[in-house]
Amino acid sequence: MQFTVYIIPALFIFILCLSIVKKQNAYLSFVEGAGQALNLMFKVFPYLLAVMIAVEVFRQTGISAKIANFVSPAFNFIGIPPQLTELILIRPLSGAGAMAILDNIYATYGTDTYIGKAASLIYGSSETIFYVATIYFSQSKVKNLRYAIPVAIIATIIGVIVGCWILKVW
Amino acid sequence: MNIIWIMVLLLSCIVSILYNPGLAVIAMTQGANDAVKLSISLVAIYGLWLGMLNIMDKLGVSQKIAWILQPIIKFLFGKDISEESKKYVSLNISANFLGLGNAATPMGISAVQSMGAQRKTASTNMIMLTVISATSLQLLPTTVIGMRINHNSSDPTSFLLPSIIATVVSTFVGVLLVKILSKIFKEKPI
Repeated sequence: MQFTVYIIPALFIFILCLSIVKKQNAYLSFVEGAGQALNLMFKVFPYLLAVMIAVEVFRQTGISAKIANFVSPAFNFIGIPPQLTELILIRPLSGAGAMAILDNIYATYGTDTYIGKAASLIYGSSETIFYVATIYFSQSKVKNLRYAIPVAIIATIIGVIVGCWILKVW
Repeated sequence: MNIIWIMVLLLSCIVSILYNPGLAVIAMTQGANDAVKLSISLVAIYGLWLGMLNIMDKLGVSQKIAWILQPIIKFLFGKDISEESKKYVSLNISANFLGLGNAATPMGISAVQSMGAQRKTASTNMIMLTVISATSLQLLPTTVIGMRINHNSSDPTSFLLPSIIATVVSTFVGVLLVKILSKIFKEKPI
């Protein structure tokens, strides 16, 4: 846990010292780079908005919970507790939505039960796949991502299954 | 993406009309609100990291990082990858590895652009980049650990090792699948 805490400040010290040695104006470089942030967000924002609106209404109408109920026997079969199905469904769509569900799971089942630990594992070992895919391509003309999303989802689920098995015998 | 988006919204609106007609607008507005909040914090994070990245660029540090990661990049993306893409991809991978997912995002966007912003379909390298980021190796899921502490967990990091194994497995499977599928489905020219 301590390891990564040191890396970033160490990197900054290294970069700043190097800029002094190389006599480069680090301040101007930083300002120039940081200036792109707003432009970037202007282009990314509508995609973000579209995805988050859809996810929120999907979650609040209870559809995700219904779909979760429907597919949970299958998840149970491969070793994932049925209480975690909705978390798995929402996780690739929205970080904030998944966090709300995770919070709920902790409150209901506790953090140190198998369900609590497995939920931590699911959230901690996976990414908001749709968000990554949408944002990465937001500044290109690419509209067809081919097999990128299915592969990412299948790979994540296999990782989660293996993780849950390991957690069981842990 | 279009079909998924339409299906999700359509289904939600239909259910909303049947059970709770007021809910759809409330939920959508809330989603929009969350998007605005998220994008404001993202502007801050992008600003910080794009600024730092530009200093690193001017000093030649990012090229050095690309050079260090050369063997990994070559294995994942093959030989036909431009120097520019190599630089962005290696920065993207290192940021993800350090758990800085949001810092990795602007570099991922630049990487996709440098791989051919005029393309209509994703190239194999673009898919590889997406899959690596989406299954990213996370060594330290700080958000989860923080939430566990808030919920008075007796051992907040107890899930960590299985979780790391899970991300290693998912990245490995993802890379393997892209390697296999790129042999089966030939690359489209544009």
